[in-house]
Amino acid sequence: MSPYNRKTLLVGVAIAVIIGGGVSYFASRSPDGLEKTQADLGLTQPPHEGVTAPAVVFHEYGLKWLGEGFWSNAIAGVTGVLLVLGLLLGLGRWMKAGKSGRDADAPASRQP
Amino acid sequence: MHIAPGFLSPPVWATMAAVSGATVAASLALARRRVGERQVPLMGVMGAFIFAAQMVNFPVLPGTSGHLGGGFLLGILLGAPVSVIVMASILAVQALVFQDGGVEALGANLFVMGIVPSLLGAAVRRLWLRPKQGIVTYAVTFFGGAVAVLLGATGVILMLFLSQSLPGSVSLLQAITVMDVIHMGIGAVEGAVTVAVVKFVLATRREAILSPAGPACEKGSA
Repeated sequence: MSPYNRKTLLVGVAIAVIIGGGVSYFASRSPDGLEKTQADLGLTQPPHEGVTAPAVVFHEYGLKWLGEGFWSNAIAGVTGVLLVLGLLLGLGRWMKAGKSGRDADAPASRQP
Repeated sequence: MHIAPGFLSPPVWATMAAVSGATVAASLALARRRVGERQVPLMGVMGAFIFAAQMVNFPVLPGTSGHLGGGFLLGILLGAPVSVIVMASILAVQALVFQDGGVEALGANLFVMGIVPSLLGAAVRRLWLRPKQGIVTYAVTFFGGAVAVLLGATGVILMLFLSQSLPGSVSLLQAITVMDVIHMGIGAVEGAVTVAVVKFVLATRREAILSPAGPACEKGSA
């Protein structure tokens, strides 16, 4: 990996981990705009059948076994950050492979 | 603004799932031919950043909070196809791992928080690709971010209305008014944060935004 891309990854992931794993603990716990609107309109009970993903490891943004503390939120935040990152880097690899006839690792400037 | 499980009727969520699913498939096909060596890491870290930023709810009105959407910002930085793919990844992780948003509502949530703002962001992208930016670019981006949020908010109410989920005593117009007034504050923050983050990324990672996919993405995304 080029130093340029390595720096993009390191700095970007550091920022995301600090925000998702740390700053987010101090976020407002008030209902968000949609929840507040639904409460104001009297729409709090779901009128249809819905599908909620099973809480296998995380219950919302916290570890299932750890409740709502700082570290529970931090583990959830960092895990989410890494899951999204891994998913997108995997997809990115697949996308680059689609540039047929060209070396996917060639410098950006040489490609049209 | 994630729609929770059980608030959309099957015809509405199924339609939105089909529309959003087709859009993701088209975005993957477009991005596969265009994404560049330096864009992949940026795409990954921007997704990670938006996921993290969405965890930070900020107070807007008494007893109400909001969080960044991010689709508009990603549309500017990455173009519409890649932006849609990033938002789809974030929303899928949120719904499937953290029970944030209904699984059946994933397509609907992607449409209002991903596809619509990504297209708006991609339309503003060309302003940021010029060598220099001034007050016009900042103003258009700020208001564009706010409009993206308000369009999404209105879209959510329309889908609740079509699902016959709104209480009988509430008219569509009343519901849109309540939703959009609350989301004006959230939209203003979205616009301001978008200007700041785009300026930061452009100052530090200009090459990753411009080349090689930049102009091509721009053409295809409008």
